[in-house]
Amino acid sequence: MPDAVSLHFFRPVFPGWHVLAGFLLKRLIQAVFVMVVVTLVVSFAIRLTGDPALMLTQGAGSITEQDLERIREALGVNRPFLVQYGGFLTGLLRFDFGNSFLGGTPVSRLIADALPATLLLALVSMAVSIALSIPLGIRAATARGGVADQAIRILSLVGLSVPNFWLATMLVLLFAITLGWLPPSGMESPSNFVLPAVTMGVILTATNVRLVRSAMLETLQSQYVMVARAKGLSEGKVLYKHALRNCAIPLITYFGLQFGGLLGGIVVVERVFNWPGLGTLAFDAVAARDYPVLQGVITVLSLLIVGVNLLVDIAYGLVDPRIRTS
Amino acid sequence: MALGVKGIKTAFMAALLAGAAFAATPAEAAGKLTISSPQDPGSWDPIDTFLVNWASVGTNIFDGLTYRGPDRKLVPGLAESWTEMDGGKRIRFKLRSGVTFHNGEPFNAAAVKFTFDRLLGEEGAKGPQRSNYIAIESVEVIDDTTVDLKLKAPDPVLLTKLAGYGAMIVPPKYIQEKGDAFFNVNPVGTGPFKFVSYAPKTGIKLEANPNYWGGAPKLSEVEYRFITEPATAVAELQAGRVDVVLPPTIPIGMVPVIQADPKLTVLSIPGPTVDALRFNTKSGITADPRVRKALIMAVDRAAIVKSILAGQASEIASFQGELSFGYDPALKPLPFDPKGAQALLAQAGVKPGATVQIDIRGNDATMNEVAQAVAAYLGAVGVVATIKPYETNVLLNDIIPQGKTGAMFQQKWGGWTFDYDNTAYAMYHSGEKWNPYEQDADLDKLLESQRAITDVAERERILKQIAHAVADKALEMPLYNSNAIYGVAKRVKNFPPASDNRPKLTEVTVD
Repeated sequence: MPDAVSLHFFRPVFPGWHVLAGFLLKRLIQAVFVMVVVTLVVSFAIRLTGDPALMLTQGAGSITEQDLERIREALGVNRPFLVQYGGFLTGLLRFDFGNSFLGGTPVSRLIADALPATLLLALVSMAVSIALSIPLGIRAATARGGVADQAIRILSLVGLSVPNFWLATMLVLLFAITLGWLPPSGMESPSNFVLPAVTMGVILTATNVRLVRSAMLETLQSQYVMVARAKGLSEGKVLYKHALRNCAIPLITYFGLQFGGLLGGIVVVERVFNWPGLGTLAFDAVAARDYPVLQGVITVLSLLIVGVNLLVDIAYGLVDPRIRTS
Repeated sequence: MALGVKGIKTAFMAALLAGAAFAATPAEAAGKLTISSPQDPGSWDPIDTFLVNWASVGTNIFDGLTYRGPDRKLVPGLAESWTEMDGGKRIRFKLRSGVTFHNGEPFNAAAVKFTFDRLLGEEGAKGPQRSNYIAIESVEVIDDTTVDLKLKAPDPVLLTKLAGYGAMIVPPKYIQEKGDAFFNVNPVGTGPFKFVSYAPKTGIKLEANPNYWGGAPKLSEVEYRFITEPATAVAELQAGRVDVVLPPTIPIGMVPVIQADPKLTVLSIPGPTVDALRFNTKSGITADPRVRKALIMAVDRAAIVKSILAGQASEIASFQGELSFGYDPALKPLPFDPKGAQALLAQAGVKPGATVQIDIRGNDATMNEVAQAVAAYLGAVGVVATIKPYETNVLLNDIIPQGKTGAMFQQKWGGWTFDYDNTAYAMYHSGEKWNPYEQDADLDKLLESQRAITDVAERERILKQIAHAVADKALEMPLYNSNAIYGVAKRVKNFPPASDNRPKLTEVTVD
């Protein structure tokens, strides 16, 4: 994107809707392509790793090949792969992901249950991280080389090096077991959000702080900051109104992309906190070779990631009109 | 199920988050028991699943014609009595009268017929349970409280199998009216607890059935929460938010953590699961029975049980624990004898530095340690062992049944029926899934013969004979029978730690 900006820097500005529509259409076609590739690879790969009929009958004493064949027939996994995948795609057009192999619950219902849980946790974690990283990053930038900067950078390094499951376990040990202030797992009340959101938030902050710091350092050297200061604006206004707004583009891009990554990376934290979200759903589906559930979760996740990227691009355009026209 | 509502509810939670009181409230009201179970079976229909964690819940919602409690004695369930007829090819059941399902529907002979017709018919064919009850040819209603199971051939384990899983009696009218998909997530049975609500991947709630034919349960509510991660389940137990953690959740390494907590206790009893390392008897150095015996003798299995398994298991001589029907206390495993092992290896022409590969389930933390100990013992007699951990499904689906294993591979099975036949047939009969290398007509004949007779003593004799034959041929290195480990809060009284993971909660109380 930045290249495109510089290339067309001198073109006249048309904030026309047809430009935006063309841009959206192009991105939409890309999105569909990405999703077909992702679901195709996932559907194909999971079928290489085991037979769901065998998984279902593991505890059974003696299962004959005919029994297994009957179960495969009922699950529809004895058909050729492309037929199965075609069925999945046509189902998708009707928003039908098929039924779970484990109990026959419609996958759409399982996802409808799990998606809000995951999105909410991701959003709260992002909010925690943004609330922490922007002031800390700005502080580090303004105190460049000073004690605060050093301390923030060292802490961020520690945060980066801590594995999230370890941090999660330690937080549970301290706040849920020793102090008994917070529930160790589940999602019944708002207090359940604190530990997982802080775990995710702290780890995200470690990266974000550095990003905010470097973006801010760059901005602070620009002339308009100097002008703003020369005008006699308060330091807070200079930092939070002028400088922050100008380094918002890389930050928005980064936070947006991070949100996509977060949805995938939340699996471990969901598992530790027994969070009834998409990560847990996908994890169980892989373990049980529950093809429809896994395909459904992957489709929804890739849809979200592609969608968030698209939103980031649009937000870009809103913040900086130059990009709309490129 | 509050499906649509949940999204809205969760949205509210975010708003509430800021003003939340940061205090964890214990979930238990008076008379409520909260249980952590490691897996959501996805459906509560008895014929849809084979997961033991279905049965932990199912045994409290449903009843079978027979019942088997923690003492593993077969007693009357929904049938008051039964008689074998036609040389074991027909069993006549006298049913309990006045029993109703939770929805008020009467339990009678027609319900029994409906249950088995469904299990053996089209609906059952889609699921894993049918194969276990295939001996039943038809069900004949004699009168409202008398019903006959007509069998194709006698099945000595059938009465036990009627006490659980696919043979749980289901309500005909309810299923016909509401449909299978609805029944899957809104189960109705005759058991001590009634279904209240189910949230997939989260939990299932039950309440007492005051009209239970076996006496009203003492608890008013039971909630099962699905918690896969052992550390999380134990944390919930320590935080007082769950009262019982069901097996198989708690790893041996966490037992001391629970024992150290004054509010908690560990109940550990022999379970059905057995571990052994099976040999590739077809090719490589382990094709020679002398080598197999040498490898068994090279490993100190008693030390492994004592140190790695911290005593939470017992040594075995055949692929079954001491609770299993067919267990022979007279059968002793080959002794730990490294000198003898070396002599046998030399005799078989195996030079020091010979290699074997041990295939194990990668996610089995205990076996990972055990395999390393085994490798070290084998190293001491000059055999270099490499351990190859597989993803469990890959090992079970692609490696073992296809005969692509190393010289040794992990067998880990256990049947809730506690009958040696349950595992022995699938592991030693020619052409069976877990028996990729061995073909032995004598063993086949023994395995088949015990399936056709209902004479208990004679059958036990044959099962013992099978165990001896397997040990004589050294088809596997027998390892151990693991305990079922329950973590239980001390406020819970009369909790029955069932070996088969099906604790019936009728008598349980909480302080």
